[in-house]
Amino acid sequence: MQMPTARQRRLRTILFWAVPAILLLVPLGTNAYTQFIVNGMLISTLVTLGFTIVIGNLGQLAFANTAFFGIGAYGSAILAAKLGVPWLLTIPIAGVFGAAGGFLASAAALRGIRSYYLAIITLAFGELMRWTYLHARPLTGGTDGLPMPRETLFGVSLTDDTVKYFVFLVVTVLLVKATANLLASRFGRAVMAVRENEVATASLAIPTSRVILVTFIWSGFVVGCAGALFARHIGHVFPESFGMLHLIASFAMVLVGGLGSVLGAVLGAVVLTALPEYLRAFPGMEELFFGLIVAAVLVALPMGLASLLRRMSPIFVERFYREAS
Amino acid sequence: MSDLLTVQGLSVRFSGLTALEDVSFELGRGEVRAVIGPNGAGKSTLFNAISGYVTPTSGTVHLNGELLTVMTPHAIAERGIRRTFQNGGLFPALTVLENVLTGLHAQTDASFFDILIGRRQALKSEAANIARARDLLKLMSMEHMADTPAGDLSGGQQRIVEIVRTVACDPPVLLLDEPAVGLSPVARDQMMDIIRRLAGEKGVGILLIEHAVELVMAAADKILVMAAGKRIAQGTPDEIRQDRAVLEAYLGHA
Ligand SMILES: Nc1ncnc2c1ncn2[C@@H]1O[C@H](COP(=O)(O)OP(=O)(O)OP(=O)(O)O)[C@@H](O)[C@H]1O
Ligand SMILES: [Mg+2]
Repeated sequence: MQMPTARQRRLRTILFWAVPAILLLVPLGTNAYTQFIVNGMLISTLVTLGFTIVIGNLGQLAFANTAFFGIGAYGSAILAAKLGVPWLLTIPIAGVFGAAGGFLASAAALRGIRSYYLAIITLAFGELMRWTYLHARPLTGGTDGLPMPRETLFGVSLTDDTVKYFVFLVVTVLLVKATANLLASRFGRAVMAVRENEVATASLAIPTSRVILVTFIWSGFVVGCAGALFARHIGHVFPESFGMLHLIASFAMVLVGGLGSVLGAVLGAVVLTALPEYLRAFPGMEELFFGLIVAAVLVALPMGLASLLRRMSPIFVERFYREAS
Repeated sequence: MSDLLTVQGLSVRFSGLTALEDVSFELGRGEVRAVIGPNGAGKSTLFNAISGYVTPTSGTVHLNGELLTVMTPHAIAERGIRRTFQNGGLFPALTVLENVLTGLHAQTDASFFDILIGRRQALKSEAANIARARDLLKLMSMEHMADTPAGDLSGGQQRIVEIVRTVACDPPVLLLDEPAVGLSPVARDQMMDIIRRLAGEKGVGILLIEHAVELVMAAADKILVMAAGKRIAQGTPDEIRQDRAVLEAYLGHA
């Protein structure tokens, strides 16, 4: 496999910070509507990232991702609306709530529930959470949902999508960077090793249970943070946002981007968030075209869009170690 | 010579089947002890019991006086017993270099948080391991394969990488389950040479499961012969060659 040269590695490090710096300029080119769409892309990036490390890197068929997302969103909304906690502060707390969800989901995997059984049990976990949002009325508002309180940040109203964008961007970049750091370390290798051969992994003095546990917890943390962003993004959390549709959309983003790829999580989220906007030109056919396009991409690129970039340049090759550049 | 690994009265029963029965032996520093016996004799089960993958029904395993029998596989590996697997234990999607690095997992002190925020500290201890992994691959003339996914290697190359990965952390004890299977005659001789050197130069105590009797006779200091879960003989290659029980039960031509 073609690996990036030292120069390409340096270039990659620069790009990693240069791209977000350039993205700071995005609000100059957007209107209220497109800014809202771009904000959604950032949230989907985190949701996809948290998902892909569990099903791609760790190789566990766990579908509790939307549960983590809902837990984060409701956690943030309840803290902000009922307890008056500043929204900014609810982001890491929502992450911790999501991480607790990850802990619960890992308990199933650690008890030896794997593959289809893990899939079903984690799906049930997601539906149970949705049921809870519907029925814990005093806390969640039931079907009416929970509105986010008005708030200002540095004197600017948090209803402004541009203001939200800057916060979302910082949170997204930090979490993507941290996750990339994790994967390119002994931890990332251990995660892959568990996926490839759990028995052999233990023979290398790698505590496999802890690896599984921590992967789920980190996934839950990332997606939980995304939930807090989402609560502010739409300004009102409803149970319907955290159902099967969201899960399927996230799954599609993972696959279209490329399973187990950080770059893929970004690409999948951006492309599949933008796609429906372009499909609006075909009223009544949107879902059909969306499905066909996703299928076409997967047939042409089984390893997702990230594999296309990898083929173009070794700069995009993601490995599970990092050499000093 | 004080013993490194002491196995005493080890027995393993699988619902009715006695796969291992009352096996005892010692392994010293720098000693190569071969384990031979027909298919199903319990050789791999012996390895699994020592390395914590199956719980013995009775008996004990000590490493430098420490009782291992109640520990998990990763705890036993941490203590210094490393093993290979009969069916190959490489991670096919990881590159050769990454595979070797997994063998050095416990050899870094980078904490989860340091890694997360990308502290220089974490990169530094990683750099030392990368350098070591590359050196080891060079030693085996495998450095040109460093970036190849392990799944793309030939069977023989995979065996070699698995050994490199297992010895990367300088373990005091190695359990090799048929490391030479599927290798060409030349590669088999090289493999035996590697094993002898690990024992001779680094003082590693090695347990070696191997079917090719002539290889074993040349490479091992001592041989443990098993059949139907029991130890039927033990001794130097010369003693084993003349052992009546072995000739009857195993070599099959008395
Ligand atoms: N996990 C297990 N559960 C049930 N039976 C097992 C298990 N592992 C091994 N056995 C049985 O124990 C016996 C010994 O198997 P083992 O793999 O130790 O033999 P071996 O000497 O390594 O043989 P080979 O030379 O074919 O590798 C066999 O009858 C096998 O079917
Ligand atoms: Mg065997």
